[in-house]
Amino acid sequence: MIRKALVASAVLLLVLSIGSVASAQSDCSKIVPASPWGPNDQTGATNRVTAAVTKAAAAEIQTGKVTTMSYPLVDGVPLFGSRFTKTILTATSLAPGGSYGENELTYMEDTWLSQSHVGTHLDGMGHIGRKDCYYNQIAMGKFINQNNMTKLGLEHLKSFATRGVLIDAVKVFQAANKFKGNSACKKPCLEKGTVITAADLQAGLRMYNVTLREGDIVMIHTGWGDLFEQFPAQNALYNSGAPGIGKDAANWLVSQKVVAVGTDTWVVEVIPGENPKEAFMVHNILLTDNGIHIIENVRTDLMAAEAASTKRATFFVNMTVPKGVGMTGNFVGIDGIQ
Amino acid sequence: MTWAAILIAALVAASLVPSRSAFAQRRWVVAFANATEQPGVTLEGTGFTGAEVHGSFDLAVRQYPIDLVFYDNQRDDMRAVANAEAAIARKVDLYIQYHRGAAANATVAQKLKAAGIPVLAVNYPVPGAPLYSVDNTAAGRLAGEALAEFAARSWAGQPMVAVVIGRVSDAADRVPERVQSVTETLRKRLPAARLTTLDTQGNPAQVATLLGGFLVGQPSRKILIAATDDATALAAKAAVEAAGRLRDSAIVSHGVDRSIHGGANDRKEIDPSNRASIVIGSVAFYLDRVGYEVLPLAQRMLRGEPVPALTATPHKLVTAANVFIEYPPYDMN
Repeated sequence: MIRKALVASAVLLLVLSIGSVASAQSDCSKIVPASPWGPNDQTGATNRVTAAVTKAAAAEIQTGKVTTMSYPLVDGVPLFGSRFTKTILTATSLAPGGSYGENELTYMEDTWLSQSHVGTHLDGMGHIGRKDCYYNQIAMGKFINQNNMTKLGLEHLKSFATRGVLIDAVKVFQAANKFKGNSACKKPCLEKGTVITAADLQAGLRMYNVTLREGDIVMIHTGWGDLFEQFPAQNALYNSGAPGIGKDAANWLVSQKVVAVGTDTWVVEVIPGENPKEAFMVHNILLTDNGIHIIENVRTDLMAAEAASTKRATFFVNMTVPKGVGMTGNFVGIDGIQ
Repeated sequence: MTWAAILIAALVAASLVPSRSAFAQRRWVVAFANATEQPGVTLEGTGFTGAEVHGSFDLAVRQYPIDLVFYDNQRDDMRAVANAEAAIARKVDLYIQYHRGAAANATVAQKLKAAGIPVLAVNYPVPGAPLYSVDNTAAGRLAGEALAEFAARSWAGQPMVAVVIGRVSDAADRVPERVQSVTETLRKRLPAARLTTLDTQGNPAQVATLLGGFLVGQPSRKILIAATDDATALAAKAAVEAAGRLRDSAIVSHGVDRSIHGGANDRKEIDPSNRASIVIGSVAFYLDRVGYEVLPLAQRMLRGEPVPALTATPHKLVTAANVFIEYPPYDMN
């Protein structure tokens, strides 16, 4: 009898201890919505880039003019927080006697020490979560090691060969007579803290007679990227805040089923945010809840100028994201082709 | 009266009441007369300045159909009255007054009432106006309780002394209310602890001398330090460190200004990565968020909705465990 009681107590303690360990993890089904592409989805919004979407986007190529939409990646550009980049050139074979063979072959290569979210870069599904819950209710605590994630890495992304739509927020605010700029910008830029609303985005689309389609990538020109171009002189100002979309604009973009949202700022969303007690809420709305990518430090000024002169704000997006296994994001090169 | 007559009367009445959408579309002009915009002048016995108060209105107003007009009362009664007169001439829809002069506030109230402009008072009463204000008594109680709980948890049964240090006699900023509340709480919770106040008269440079001298006389006691503001807390920590008494001391402060929680890459005293700090927390005064608290009240007044006669700042003890929740870092320099 006593032995039975002891065994029962031990079993009870074991069950209770397992229960307490399990309760340390969040129930992600209550914290993050499920993916519309099923419980195994690790891809997110690029599921929307179907063959039909790419084919329709190809119709945007009319003149073949290519406009760059990424900034050169170089040491010294503004970096978020404690991020860093450092390039080191190996050129030893250029030294006298260092060349190879009768053909005197020489070579050079780089060592690039860098974090992935630098320069013009894409935020992947594993970048932002709520507590330990990430896109598609994945409890990421179980899927990370010291090197990378074992779920939600960039290798799961599909193509970004889709239509891009530029929204010129500077023009929207100027037209609405509510433009407030920053004197450090050499070209017009919205002041940091300026909230871009859904109504502003819709006004920007009307300017170029564009209706968003499922699978589009939306690029928003705020002018703030002018400070990025002035690196390193304006790095501190650039990082101190940003104009950007607010929560209502983010939710509207979600309803439009876009694939990605990019701006010429380090953050896409407005900083300081709308609620001082919320941290980077638009990141949660787009990435965590809806699998929509964020593209930061996009060079938008050239495409904005192109749109103004051609009256066309749509283009084919030429952007390939390296299949970095288990990576949370990566720098990208983007061309807009019209 | 027939049903038709009732229906017509109802329709007429409905047409006289502005609809919700009409309210949503209307933009209001609201004046905010700040206590001072002078750089370096701190407010309410904390490290916050008028620029931070002003900035909070700039940011908070983004969510409201309100155009703000700013005035600077310059801590001057005549200027405060002149600002109200300017706002009356401008026909603002509501006036938010942050000024400590009672006589000037009475005059301002009288003039604005005559002009039919409602008033909302910040931190100091304006006759007839609802008041939003810091609550020094509540803040002091939180600080006292934090120290008492730390002492009970860490130093139970050991001899202790409690020191309240800072601008303890600064009545203009109502710091004595804070001091009294800390003192009463500590007396109640730690009846055996000795209690002392050290007045720096607002000069943190005095902390080293005053506290250093005091520590010499307390070689075997644990030291509980309630600082009236964050600058004093940081100076107190330095003084304790210089005296080699870090292991014997705990500090709680008031304010939670940038000097103590800082930006993302600043050296921060209250930070999740600095949980072992002897500065165990600071009671938030949120003067950098006043706009977020006051403008919702202003909007309710503009809509003709009732607001409480007194709304107090929701003070909270900010520690390494909750500082990122209360102040999510976004400034990434």
